Formats: sequence, C-alpha cells, structure tokens
Amino acid sequence: MTREITYVEAIAEALDEELSRDDDVILFGEDVEEFGGNFGETEGLYEKHGRDRVRNTPLSEIGIAGMALGAAVGGIRPVAELQFADFAATAGDEVFNQIPKQPYVSGGRLEAPLTIFAPSGAGIGAGAQHSQSVHSWLGNVPGWVVVTATTPYDAKGLFKSAIRDDNPVFFLPHKMLSETKGEVPDEEYTLPLGEAVVEEDGEDVTVVATQLMFHRAKEAAAEVDADVEIVNPRTFAPLDTETIAESVRKTGRLVVVDETVERYGTQGYIANEIVENEFFSFDAPPKTIGVKDVPIPLSPPLEQEVLPSADRIAAGIESLF
Amino acid sequence: MWERMTQDVNVDDDTARRFLEEMLRIDIFEEETKERFGDGEIPGFVHLSGGHEGSHVGMGAAMRDEDWLAVGGARLIGQYIAKGVPLPEIMAELYGRVDGSNRGHGGQMHVADVDRKLYGHAATIGSGQNPAVGLALAEKVKGTDNVAVTTIGDGGTSRGSFHTALVFAAYWDLPVVFVIENNQWAISTPAESLSPDSLSDYGDPHNMATESVDGSDVEEVYRAVSDAIERARNGEGPSVIESRVVRLVPHFEGDKETYRDEAEYERLKEEKDPIENYRERLLENDVLTEGEIEDMVANIQDEVSEAVEFARESPEPEPEAAYEHVYRTPLYGQGE
Repeated sequence: MTREITYVEAIAEALDEELSRDDDVILFGEDVEEFGGNFGETEGLYEKHGRDRVRNTPLSEIGIAGMALGAAVGGIRPVAELQFADFAATAGDEVFNQIPKQPYVSGGRLEAPLTIFAPSGAGIGAGAQHSQSVHSWLGNVPGWVVVTATTPYDAKGLFKSAIRDDNPVFFLPHKMLSETKGEVPDEEYTLPLGEAVVEEDGEDVTVVATQLMFHRAKEAAAEVDADVEIVNPRTFAPLDTETIAESVRKTGRLVVVDETVERYGTQGYIANEIVENEFFSFDAPPKTIGVKDVPIPLSPPLEQEVLPSADRIAAGIESLF
Repeated sequence: MWERMTQDVNVDDDTARRFLEEMLRIDIFEEETKERFGDGEIPGFVHLSGGHEGSHVGMGAAMRDEDWLAVGGARLIGQYIAKGVPLPEIMAELYGRVDGSNRGHGGQMHVADVDRKLYGHAATIGSGQNPAVGLALAEKVKGTDNVAVTTIGDGGTSRGSFHTALVFAAYWDLPVVFVIENNQWAISTPAESLSPDSLSDYGDPHNMATESVDGSDVEEVYRAVSDAIERARNGEGPSVIESRVVRLVPHFEGDKETYRDEAEYERLKEEKDPIENYRERLLENDVLTEGEIEDMVANIQDEVSEAVEFARESPEPEPEAAYEHVYRTPLYGQGE
C-alpha cells in the first residue's frame, strides 16, 4: 500500500523515523526547533524528540559542520542541516578539507558517520548565493557520498539510508520540489546509496537527470519524437556508471542534463565516463546541458534563461538524430 | 648569566619522575627524527616541539585515557607521545610505512589513534577546535563525564573557526578545554602584535574560565589543565588556557629563522628550556640523582632506537593501498 505525501513531508518523516529508531541520531542546525526549518523540513521534531536530540545552533556553518565531524568521530550519528547548499562554501575547510579527508588520512581507523543536508537548486528567485547546485563541488572531493533527491519516494528512502551509512554523506534535496507530491510506501523502506535507477524505459536515447532537471527531462521526453530512457543517478559520488552505460549500450545516444554549472561540471564527467568506456556503443556524440557559465541571477526571466529548460533539453535530444 | 632560583616540586616523586621521563622521551625521539629526516629517511616535512615538551606532558598527564585530545598548532609529535601513542607506531607513520598509526596515509601532521582517544590533527591550522566541540557533545549525549582537550598555537587563534568553536562550546556549556600554546611565533609573525594581553582573554566574552600560565613549567600546565578538566567534568563548562611557551626550534626543519634576534634566542634557550629547568629542579630537590637521569636517558634511547628499527623494517605500502579507506563499502543498501 502507498500514500501520497509532499517532498518536504518525506524529508521530515525520514528524520522522525531515524530519530525514533536510533538513539545515537541527533539533529542540529539553524532554526530546526520551533521554527521547523526554512521549508518545514524539521517541523514537529523538536517537540517530539526533545532539545537534547534536536538542537538549534548559533549561526555558523563552520561550527555546524565541524561539530558534526567531531560528534561522528566521537561515536554518535549527527544529522546537520545547512539552510542552503551554497553555505557549504561558508564551511569551506570543514566541507572540503576536514570531513571527507579525516577517515582517509587516519588509514581507515577513524569513522565519520555523519549526514549534512542542505536544500539546493534555483528557481525561487533567491539570487546568486542561495540558488546553486553544489554536487559538482562536493563530487570533486573524494570521501563524500553525494546524494540528490528527485521525488518524495527518493527523498525519504535515500535520506534514511544516508543517515544510516557509515561514510560522510551530503544529502541534497531541491528547494523547487518542496511542495511536489508523490507516492511512498506505507511500510518502512530505504533506498540503496551508490545505485542509479532507470526511471523511464526507452529505446532511442538515454537522458541522465536528477532533482528538478529530471522533471524537466520528462516534459522534454513528451515533446520529442523519440523513445527516451531516463536514468536518475541518485548518488553522484561515487557514481554508478554501470547503470548509465548499460542504458547507452541499448540506446546508442546520451544526453546528460544537470543543474550544476557546465564548466568543469557533472555533465562532462558523466559523459566522459561513458564515452571512454563505451565509445563504440555511440550512434551520435554525447550532449551535455547545464547551467550557463554565470552566477544565478535574481530576476525570473534572467534566472530561467540560465537554467536548462524543458525546451532546451528537448532541443538537445533532437540534436542527436 | 641568569641564576635559577630553587623551585619546589609540587607533585609526588613518582609523578615528577614521570614528567621528566616523558619530556625526555619527546626530546630524544625528536632529535632522532631530525637525524632521520636529515638523512632523507622521512618524507615530507617535520615540525619539532623543542620548548613545548613541558606543555605537552603537563597537559597529557592531566587527562584521563578516556578524554579526547584534538591536537592543533604545529608542535605535534610531543602531543602524540603525551597521549600515549607507542613510539614505533609514530615513527613508522613518519616513515610512511604500513605499520604506522595511520598505515602511511597520514604522516607527521595526521597521527590519529581513536582507540586512545587521539582525534588527530586538522593540518589546516585552526580547524580542529569545532571537531573538539563535537567530540565533547558526543560524550555528553552518551552520558559520560569525559572531556575534550584541544590545542592550538598563537597563530591559529586568528582563524574565525577558533572563535566559532568558543561560541559553540559556550552555547551548550560543553566539556571542552581549549589550550593555546603561545610560542610567540606564527612561523615568522610575532604574537605580540595581536591585541589581547593574554590569548586566554579570547574566552572572556563567552564568560569562560581563563588562565595564562608559564607553559615551560610542566607542573604549572599540569595544574592549570587539571583544574580546567575538573570544571568541565563537573558541568561547569569550557575553559581557555594560554600556555606561554618558547619555540626553541625552527618552525620546520629547514627554516633558517632569519626573523629571530640571536641574543634573545640564546637567552630563551638558557632560561626557558622546560626539560633542563625541570632536570635541575629535580636534582636540587633530591628527587633524582644524575646517575638515575643517565639511566633514564639510556633507556629512552633504546626505546627510540627500537622505534626506528621498527619503522625501517616495516614494509612500504603497496601502491594500490592508495585507493583504500576513501569509502566504507558497500554503501548503505548497495548491492542488496
């Protein structure tokens, strides 16, 4: 049996269930208590689980991320929120130098089972410092498991797995999807990390897309005169290239669309992985589509200009035939 | 010529002997490290602890085995020894060998031993204090009375992350002891150009207990850190201690120290060497004889030689080991 919930409710349910299941799980971040998070993602948790388990922090991502690292090494399972994914940069040393590298430099003796989650993505007119998709930044630093969520089903199942995983996991919901609805199972479930999923079967072309871009790719697929297969990577690092390669072996064409900036972005990396290993499966050159190489502007017409639209994705697909 | 005044020994004889022995262990281990590095046996670069031994040993002795140490600053090896990491494991790690504490993945700046509650080091100076706050939070959540001690140099206190850690520790009154080893120099930048009279004053805006002590006196550091740990264990929150030490060595091996005044440097070596001073003090107070100290030194030299042999005989890692320990696999649910 399933029921319909919103994407934000899925996130709140994942947190609630993991806080209930495991006493070592604690949640902290800015405004996670009564305020309930910017998008309602922590609503009701503080009242239910108490102030020892759900903690407001002072305003510093350095403190939040650094404390999460120490708490994880110290033997508990912290889940820490940054209010916007862009703020990974304000905790730059913790996010890029400390968390992903400490388990490695310890020779595997030190374990950091922490989760940081932060809403990412553009589309709400939040400007250049509250709209970025940062999984390309994070994916460039070995040590992070980088996970994105596309539907309420993904958001709940992947977030629960992120919390249970023994690696540092950066979990990235997309803020434009907050109020979207979808089916989730009535019973408890988790979804595997490190595995991509074929969301739509097709024969002619493989489109790799996640988060908001997945939904736009679906729109694009309905517009074009081709049978489109859509693969959702779910985890960006480490990437499940095999599921994508298998799809391309069938379709012979590849479009990678992602909301990260095109320059040195995820799209080029994914395309390269497949081209290098599956070159002779291709019937056409791969196509990559991302945010144009500019900061995200505020005004809606400008913002929409730089984000991949369904039309741009459709044009990209059609260019391969 | 500076005259030493006879100072009392304020700890019991066993503890006093242990203090001197541990400081000598750091010194002899490091002198050997310097030689091995000079001969090209140790890769990378090394920072030595000369002048900081009293601070390291006093702090280490004040801690229980169950208390966390998150080391900072650049004087590291002495702190690893003070936290009880065996010399062979440290030396093999300096050599980058498989039997090193970190299997050769870390090196001099990253010795970590979580079983002995040594968190390790944020080699980007000043980033170790927020993890220390997290370690203290974990102990509090688990309901223990263990504390987290974290060190930083004078240079590191200029990082915002240090001040953030003070904010976070104070916010929940967490059991953290911040020890600032002020050796007067951030490589070549003098600490006297910083505005506080004492760097422990940085705790004042957070209403923390603060103290500034002569860090070249092992007993002073032992007392001050013990008091701070006691407060932390009793739920009285974090403290900031400034341990005023003297850097009697270059920043790293190879630093020509063109920025130091030679006469002043010589004076400090004469007056502020924590080992020499404590040695004299124990002799004057009849805690040890010259002969006993010679035996102590000889024993430590044997220990250090064994550590070097252990490191030399430990195999180099297989190149493929570079790909280990990036992730714990399978990831959750992967392949099921």
